[in-house]
Amino acid sequence: MTYFIFIGDMLVMLFMVMLVIWVGFKTSDEKNRQAAEIPLNDEDLEEMNHG
Amino acid sequence: MEQAVTSAMTTSNTHLRDDSYLDDIVSRLVQFSVFWAIVGMGAGVYIAAQLVWPALNFDTAWLSFGRLRPLHTNGVIFGFGVTALMATAFYTVQRTCHVKLFAPRLAWIVAYGWQLLIVLGGLSLLAGWTSSKEYAELEWPFDIAITLLWVGFGIVFFGTIAKRKIKPIYISNWFYGGLIIVIAMLHIFNNLAIPVTLDKSYSLYAGAQDAVVQWWYGHNAVGFLLTGGFLGMLYYFLPKQAERPIWSYRLSIISFWAFTYLYIWAGPHHLHYNAIPEWVQSLGMVMSVILLAPSWATMINGVMTVSGAWQKLKTDPAMKFTVLALAFYGLATFEGSMMAVRSVNVVSHFTDWTVGHVHSGALGWNAMITYGAFYFLVPRLVNRPLYSTRLANAHFWLALAGTMLYIMAMWAAGVSQGLLWLSMDEIGELQYGFVDIMASMTSYYGLRFIAGFIFLVGAVMMAYNFYMTMRSTEAVRVRPPQVDPAYQA
Repeated sequence: MTYFIFIGDMLVMLFMVMLVIWVGFKTSDEKNRQAAEIPLNDEDLEEMNHG
Repeated sequence: MEQAVTSAMTTSNTHLRDDSYLDDIVSRLVQFSVFWAIVGMGAGVYIAAQLVWPALNFDTAWLSFGRLRPLHTNGVIFGFGVTALMATAFYTVQRTCHVKLFAPRLAWIVAYGWQLLIVLGGLSLLAGWTSSKEYAELEWPFDIAITLLWVGFGIVFFGTIAKRKIKPIYISNWFYGGLIIVIAMLHIFNNLAIPVTLDKSYSLYAGAQDAVVQWWYGHNAVGFLLTGGFLGMLYYFLPKQAERPIWSYRLSIISFWAFTYLYIWAGPHHLHYNAIPEWVQSLGMVMSVILLAPSWATMINGVMTVSGAWQKLKTDPAMKFTVLALAFYGLATFEGSMMAVRSVNVVSHFTDWTVGHVHSGALGWNAMITYGAFYFLVPRLVNRPLYSTRLANAHFWLALAGTMLYIMAMWAAGVSQGLLWLSMDEIGELQYGFVDIMASMTSYYGLRFIAGFIFLVGAVMMAYNFYMTMRSTEAVRVRPPQVDPAYQA
């Protein structure tokens, strides 16, 4: 059973490493920056100010 | 915060547009959530008093601890917590998708249907209806109603995502989406039962299988509802309050997948030293310890986001609550991972240490992050500054004092209980009896009652502050911005 748990843990680690690599290749810094800024530009403030 | 609100003060309340965000429903859900916070916490304070003065049950069945305790947990988790998650999910998904909520009528049915469910479900618990499953005590008619309403919640949420005008799906929506999908799965499988009467059903599972399914549900309800759902709240409202994007968006994505992949395995740590296979216990323990990595990655990401905006802590009560919630999130997740280790669990299990841990998360993380989100939301929803910043600051200190006193009292009580129960005399017999140990807990339980009362007083002050802010106002109509070509779907 110890081996079972060990192998399971290693698979989890493998998944995480692959995930990090996939996320690293899939997205660019520019895309991440754009996505991160979504909450900062989500209301039409001009429309609000001049109603 | 007031500056941002003032900038929106010139908005005409009557300026209605078809594509305006549907914020009326958010306002109403915030009000319901605050109401349930007071009811649920009030029930908690009352049963805390019963542990000091047992006569407070007045020999009345519906005032007994056994009935009021599930009323407290259901009130705060499903009344206060889920209603807050619905409010913030509806607010967030509209803005991060730049579209009005999908199926508004269904959204209103879900919002009011959920409140009706909490009222009737609460009454059923007082009447003694129970399936005896922790955090899933409601009987089968309510389980079916929850399923239908939850599907409605999912349709509104994912429908809004489907019609979004921008391509990226913001990280908060991943967490809210995970909440909706995983809780649906957990709720259905945990509550599979054969009804025999309107108020009684029998679980399809028995013995050890029942225990494993129960804690697969119980721990993942903590994971995907009380942690994941509220992380959705954090990832939206923290950048809004700090007025800067999340420190590492890449880290937030990695944390989400690591969190989702690991949490689902961790439930068996609730069953250490019980009649389930040892390897299942070990698996639960190991996954719980690894879970610390994405939890602290999220906390570090949050703290780094605040970095450079610390000055706002002096003036913005919403920000104070959010940053404090982050601190308690780090504390509670570290403690949870450690308590899942069998050698620690041998002391902590079945003691008040667990109760302290749960409340470090529930008060310190869930309530604080919700308060932070609500103090940010309410002035914006009605387009006027908060009625009293001083009252909000007083609430902050009461909430902090109540939480700290509560968890310290329960730590002291729990560690004492665990060590005393493990004490043996020279011939190997238990040194202290259960009743003797419980009798020595009265002072800690007294402190717990005081702590809960302090926390409740803070919540009442918040309710008054919101009432004064929101009265005689209409919800503000806010439109999505022009879509930047870089974002277009």
